[in-house]
Amino acid sequence: MAKGQRIFLDIMKKRPLILDGATGTELQKRGMPAGVCPELWCIENPSVIASVHSDYARAGCDVVYTCTFGANRFKLGQYGEPDARSVNRRLALIAREALRGKALVAGDIGPTGHFIQPFGEVDFEEAVAAFKEQVLGLLEGGVDCFVIETMMDIQEARAALIAVKETCDLFTMVTMTFERDGRTLNGTDPLTALTTLQALGADAVGCNCSTGPDDMVRFIEAMKPYAKIPLIAKPNAGLPKTVGDTTVYDMDAAEFASRAGALIAAGAGILGGCCGTTPGHLAALRKTVARKKPAPPLRKSLAALSSARKTLLFEPGRPLAVIGESINPTGRKALQEELREGKTALARQMARDQEMAGAALLDVNVGVPGIDQEKAMQEIVLALSIATELPLVIDSAKAEPIERALRVYPGRALINSISGEREKLRKLLPVAAKYGAMFILLPLTDKGIPETAEKRAVVVRAIEQEARKHGFTRDDFLVDGIVMTAASNPKAPQETIRTVRWATETFGARTVVGLSNVSFGMPERKWINTSFLAMAAASGLTAAIANPASEELMFVKNASDVLGGRDRDAAAWIAHCAKAAGSAKKGAPIETLPPERKVRQAILDGNREAVAGLVGETLKAGLDAAKLAQEIMIPAIVEVGERFGRKEYFLPQLIASGETMKIGMEALEPFLKGDLKAQRGTILIATVKGDIHDIGKNIVALMLRNHGFQVVDLGKDVAAERIVREIDRHRPQVVGLSALMTTTMTQMKEVIALARKQGEQCPFVVGGAVVTKAYAESIGAEYARDGVEAVQVIQRLIR
Amino acid sequence: MDRLITFERITIEPPLEAIYRRLGFRKGLTKIKPDETRALGEGIEKARSLITLKGAARRLPILSKDSRLIRLPESHCLESTHLAKLLADSQEVLLMGATAGAAVIEAIRRDTAADKLSQAVVLDAAASEMVDAALDWMEAFFAQDLRRESRRLTKSRFSCGYGDLALENQKLFYDLLDLGRFGVELTERYILAPEKSVTAVAGIETTG
Repeated sequence: MAKGQRIFLDIMKKRPLILDGATGTELQKRGMPAGVCPELWCIENPSVIASVHSDYARAGCDVVYTCTFGANRFKLGQYGEPDARSVNRRLALIAREALRGKALVAGDIGPTGHFIQPFGEVDFEEAVAAFKEQVLGLLEGGVDCFVIETMMDIQEARAALIAVKETCDLFTMVTMTFERDGRTLNGTDPLTALTTLQALGADAVGCNCSTGPDDMVRFIEAMKPYAKIPLIAKPNAGLPKTVGDTTVYDMDAAEFASRAGALIAAGAGILGGCCGTTPGHLAALRKTVARKKPAPPLRKSLAALSSARKTLLFEPGRPLAVIGESINPTGRKALQEELREGKTALARQMARDQEMAGAALLDVNVGVPGIDQEKAMQEIVLALSIATELPLVIDSAKAEPIERALRVYPGRALINSISGEREKLRKLLPVAAKYGAMFILLPLTDKGIPETAEKRAVVVRAIEQEARKHGFTRDDFLVDGIVMTAASNPKAPQETIRTVRWATETFGARTVVGLSNVSFGMPERKWINTSFLAMAAASGLTAAIANPASEELMFVKNASDVLGGRDRDAAAWIAHCAKAAGSAKKGAPIETLPPERKVRQAILDGNREAVAGLVGETLKAGLDAAKLAQEIMIPAIVEVGERFGRKEYFLPQLIASGETMKIGMEALEPFLKGDLKAQRGTILIATVKGDIHDIGKNIVALMLRNHGFQVVDLGKDVAAERIVREIDRHRPQVVGLSALMTTTMTQMKEVIALARKQGEQCPFVVGGAVVTKAYAESIGAEYARDGVEAVQVIQRLIR
Repeated sequence: MDRLITFERITIEPPLEAIYRRLGFRKGLTKIKPDETRALGEGIEKARSLITLKGAARRLPILSKDSRLIRLPESHCLESTHLAKLLADSQEVLLMGATAGAAVIEAIRRDTAADKLSQAVVLDAAASEMVDAALDWMEAFFAQDLRRESRRLTKSRFSCGYGDLALENQKLFYDLLDLGRFGVELTERYILAPEKSVTAVAGIETTG
């Protein structure tokens, strides 16, 4: 138990613990000018901050924060103050002196204003060191507890929490700032923040700032079922409004206090106020909650893993989790090479591929002989932390790479694995405990792998006994069933299944298997693997290390979830089947229409898959090819343009129809007598020199081709000289030029001037984001707003 | 204040409404079938998987300003009457830059070359809107701190090449934000490459 925790818990047995309210706005009201460093100003004006502290204590706050929110080396450095430790010490002393035991003093740690690796440029250890300066100063000033607050980056919150926990054992609260959409700016949701921070040793977790109390109810509700520690709600006084030059909040003290009941009902045990609140708000809050007893934490442990953005719960009734096995250099030469070169691109791609394929977790192994595995593990874990939302499984035979990974990983990871080998237990259990990781319990010892489930059970219990000494419970590990090769020992798969069943039904723990070992040396391994997965799933398996790219495996896994009651309403099964079916349903023609009407409808619908067949069907039915083009297809694409003009169609529909038309025309072309395109004319188009934005030009080209024009597309970044040369070569009826930027737009004028100088008289049409009709006229060109208008303008010019 | 802040990964949801609007969708007018909606959703999801939003920002004090010229430290200045008007009450500027990365641009190129322009435009629109949303995200990040300093950002921001703020200023933004660290290049005509890379400036004002 953290030092000071008893005081907090005793208060919460009777009523919510009350934190203080806003400091910044109180200081401004009492004379702090805008734009100064609040911490340094408070050192120069200690009586003012002391009065704020005293007023909050008088209002009934149990805990008052030191004015050290921005007293870190990064922020103080902006004001030329190099000694963060001293500033923290002095401000803590001011708070102690002001409060004189009337309230507890919380050493306040706010964000640095920078993002920490892997989300920003500040090295993780630099951030930890910066927070330690603060922690040391605050301890010297005599704080009673710590609060890490207003964090929007979970990694920064972790760095600060590690700094506190590595320095002292005082009660430490952590509050994140969630936006109204329920995530921090960096994308962490309340449950994920809770999972990561309570595992790392926070004594209370919650939210402050950003929203008013009403929104905060949702965040507390999301955390409460999974919290083993008290939850904190420290909302703003409603929502901010700008009145003239001033930001004001819309809740007065009485209204603010009236929301406390909902926060307590949601599960908050610690309340306070943030921006816009005053001692008056806090006094009203304290009075309102005087007889409201908060609910204690609902659980003592939580089987869950997290990344920076996502939590995976191992709760009963949850689907079997596939742990993607690809990021392992064994037998993968390309990955070995990449790890040797210190690169991570392939691993990131593998992570994305496995995530797309349906993995719930990713195993990460960097076991290449001769490389610095600690460094490689850190780099790959940092890279994967931003490449995937999936929590990671840190897989290494050595303790050091695991420790390095756990320190920098912005979530709660799973260690693969901790066995009963004496050295592993000695090294890894303390590391897992320090960083709050879950682990795979591998029931083997220095004597080897026990052959039977019964013998494995003995080892499991022995390892558990050791783990309990470090605070672990059965919710903190998954028992490995140990998969041996069926080819060498036909009884081995049964022993694995028996181990899984015992661990699930008798021992009451989660389980995992490394699936593919079972089929080693066998032909058609996927069938052995999937059958074994189904058997293990039926025995209660929680997770399997496997290849999610295996279609068969993922079908069996999803089917097992349905049959095992782990997929409510078969929703995941249906979604999996729909995904697998892909675009099979696309392009179904309307059967009742005559063939030529089907072609028209296909163009209107953008049915690329069906149009070529329908053109063939129409020709077979006896319709003349030219007639089909002139009377059916071109009018259809014209109608698409009209619908686009009326905004009934938007761009993807316009282009899908355009692509359908193109495919249809290609199917038709061998049957056309004479060259239809030549009859309509040739258009030369280009994006001018210096400009690389050409998607608009590509749309125009597609539209023109579909209206029967021959298009010579010179591409992007094309010099004036080349355009004029190509005009001379192709003799187009019209030339189209595009540009997106003001600096490149001027090239259009140069192209036209050069063409005229060389005697070319062809008309020009120009377009692009910054091009206007007036500009077009000023350089002697026509203007078209978009692809549809370009076709109309060109048709008019040719006529 | 003058320290470059970089964001190696900006995590945001694709702004669906803005993406639809960019693609020409108009509520009440445009009719989309369920399979088209699904295909669009898949396209946006693909864009999301290809886009890696990175950003950089820098707060700089305004040393002096008049109706046209904004002077910044180290003899840097921005010349624009429109920008000067926006910054009339500002004491500092916030320079911002963001990029969606090269992978999405490469995918757009591949789709275009493979006659899959309808996929390419969705990727293009999603990338444009996501990189713009990254600037919103950075503004929100700074707004937190500014509120505690009794400061705020101007209601709008300005980009080079708009109004009378010449695109040539892109060089100043590029250098001060060190966008090269993200693999972004500046062409001789002051265009940022890869294509979905943007810069902007907002003002920082003191509140009452």
